[in-house]
Amino acid sequence: MLRGLRVSCSPHISEYRSTRSVMIDVIIGLVPAMAAAGYYFRNYALILIPTCVISAMVTEWLCNVIRKKEDSLGDYSAIVTGIILALSVPPRLPVWAAIIGSVFSIAIGKMVFGGLGANIFNPAMVGRAFLTVSFGALMTTWTVPAPIDPAMPRISPENTIHARTQATPLAWSKEVIKGKCETKVVNEQLKATFTGEVGGCLGETSAIALLIGGLYLLIRRTINVHIPFAVIVSAVAFAGIFYLIDSEKYAQPVFHLTSGGLLLCAFFIATDPVTAPLTPKGMWIFGIGVGSITMLIRIVGEYPEGVMYSVLLMNAVTSLIDRFCKWIPAGGKPKL
Amino acid sequence: MQIDTKSRLTFSGGTHPPEKKELTNESEIQQGPVVKQVAIMLIQHLGAVCRPLVAKSEQVQAGQKVGDSDAFVTAPVHSPISGKVKAIGLQAHAVLGRSPAVIIEAEPENNPPKQPNADKFTDDFDENQYSVRQICDAVREAGIVGMGGAGFPTRVKIEPNPRLPKETLIINGCECEPYINCDYRIMLEWTDKIIVGIKLAKKTSGCSKTIIGIEDNKPKAIEVMNEALERSGDSDSIRVVAVKTKYPQGGERQLIKALLNKDVPTGGIPPMIGVVVLNVATTAAIAEAVVYNRPLTHRVVTVSGEAITKPGNYYVPIGTSIEELIEFCGGVAERSAKVIVGGPMMGIAISDLTMPITKTTGAITVLTKKQIGRAKYKRRQTSCIRCGRCLEVCPEHLMPTKIAHAVKYNLLDVAESYYINACTECGCCSYVCPANIEVTGYIKIGKITLAKQKKKIPE
Repeated sequence: MLRGLRVSCSPHISEYRSTRSVMIDVIIGLVPAMAAAGYYFRNYALILIPTCVISAMVTEWLCNVIRKKEDSLGDYSAIVTGIILALSVPPRLPVWAAIIGSVFSIAIGKMVFGGLGANIFNPAMVGRAFLTVSFGALMTTWTVPAPIDPAMPRISPENTIHARTQATPLAWSKEVIKGKCETKVVNEQLKATFTGEVGGCLGETSAIALLIGGLYLLIRRTINVHIPFAVIVSAVAFAGIFYLIDSEKYAQPVFHLTSGGLLLCAFFIATDPVTAPLTPKGMWIFGIGVGSITMLIRIVGEYPEGVMYSVLLMNAVTSLIDRFCKWIPAGGKPKL
Repeated sequence: MQIDTKSRLTFSGGTHPPEKKELTNESEIQQGPVVKQVAIMLIQHLGAVCRPLVAKSEQVQAGQKVGDSDAFVTAPVHSPISGKVKAIGLQAHAVLGRSPAVIIEAEPENNPPKQPNADKFTDDFDENQYSVRQICDAVREAGIVGMGGAGFPTRVKIEPNPRLPKETLIINGCECEPYINCDYRIMLEWTDKIIVGIKLAKKTSGCSKTIIGIEDNKPKAIEVMNEALERSGDSDSIRVVAVKTKYPQGGERQLIKALLNKDVPTGGIPPMIGVVVLNVATTAAIAEAVVYNRPLTHRVVTVSGEAITKPGNYYVPIGTSIEELIEFCGGVAERSAKVIVGGPMMGIAISDLTMPITKTTGAITVLTKKQIGRAKYKRRQTSCIRCGRCLEVCPEHLMPTKIAHAVKYNLLDVAESYYINACTECGCCSYVCPANIEVTGYIKIGKITLAKQKKKIPE
């Protein structure tokens, strides 16, 4: 009487959630940051974001064709990688460099490992690292945001060369540490780093936009609270210790939080589930590692910004963390 | 007594599938189909297979024992109808493949169908008129097994055992599985019978404390049970406790965790921590067996699902074919995609509808393509993105994705190092997986393969 019945393993129903819907959530979470990028950097954002997304998608499709695998564009993960890469490069990055970065992100960062879920390193950060080592000058050329804050008089269109090379607040803080500048200059920029009217990478300047997006992801339970919390707490604690030691030489902890890519990293980059540990305990170790290595680079190291390297370093030890943070069943270890 | 209807008592993990109880929760237990033929499986329980006690063409009476075994962990099987043995042969079984069964052809003239409410139980029942020995023997002879699904012989469970003394008797009225309502209806309609069964089980097992655990989405059942206990004057020794509505709250390990905040040791059984868990339907069967000397030949089955024309709760002779039961319920309304023995979370999808109802079949669920979901229907999977949702929902605190992938790549030692055998196969991990991976399926395969390698089960 009944024909064509399906037989499969239980359970026979499932929650309405797919890999695609997870990725769509991340894209929605990135919308405020993209909007802020569009507001502050205008046509640069309008060019860079679509360029990165399209070249990432084309690369993924090509890789699948070459590998003779089923098309995986439908999971939208390439779009997320493209957006994050675009948001983490300087606004005036030439289009050709952005394309190279995206191709490298997807091809070397993801597809050579076997595609989504198999990659060890965050693809967008792999692409960014490649761009940094290949085109160092382009990757440190900063642009002035469209609405210029009068609180930053030394950054002005007339003084473009100076401004472009030294515009990011973190570069200022580095100068402060080296004793070339006063702390006041840096701490005055706190409000500007919060709203985003400072120089910096395309999507990282506006702390408020990133916080809104991050909050959305937390409410939707797309990401867990552990990693963002661990990154922020450890970074603030690290900066706080230095601030307490010498508040003349080191910037306020909150300044470090709102400037640079720390919030973008805490909510969107470090939380990439594929390259982060599985258990809450592991997530805490991972987050604390990302936060403190970032601050170590920023305060002690030579570079003004350390988000990218800290994420890549912690990605490398993720499987090790997972191994150490193995769960024991609720009923305890079985007796042999 | 104040009833706490919003309970916080629960376990960690778990998920909230749509309950879908409204399809059948108002439907009273009705008389099932009048069958022409039954197939009594010789194994409807955990333990040794029964050997047939009747021969082909032999005449059998309703309630006559047709199969038994000398082993300790086993349960005899009985014929629900009078008739003639048509054959003793292999019959399709949802889990075990083809298994031996006794097929009996009914004689319609001397087969008055058994009524769901035939036996009367009163609230002034005194369990002390029966000795522990008498109760144990009656439970064994009636072939009673755990009717919640596992089918462990009840006699073995409730018998006094000096090595594992029992303190707490937990009656499981959770019914966390979507669609199913048979236990709920039993609690509403057979309240006195259940209480008689509880008293008998309590006396036999020597438990000092008895708790009836009911999910808080069944306030009516909690109320009815409380009233009945007050009427019979047992409300001091038997307590009704509401637990949070969450899947799999009805798993015995999860129920013990919620009620007593104790963990059953991994690989262990509840008596190790002094607990016995019985399903409400099992207690009703104990009452019938001890007081009226009736073997377990009928059970309440919920026939539900969006594809069923007349969903409801039916009192069905064990051995009825699923096809016959579905036809009795008006057949299927639209093109159905899956027929499931049990509920949608843990039930087994079957394609051969000649399979009979067994003692452990609480429900038949027929789902449409829409209910299953497009991704699940087409079995579209993406790679694991390690989102960790399966870890969050695992009630046993395991790492399902790790186990599933170890099994996928045939690394069974790795799977064991992630405690594969602690899995209760509740299905929460597959339910939440955004990549639509059959996590539970892989774990099941891994468990079976491991058991075969260790020669625990024959090839």
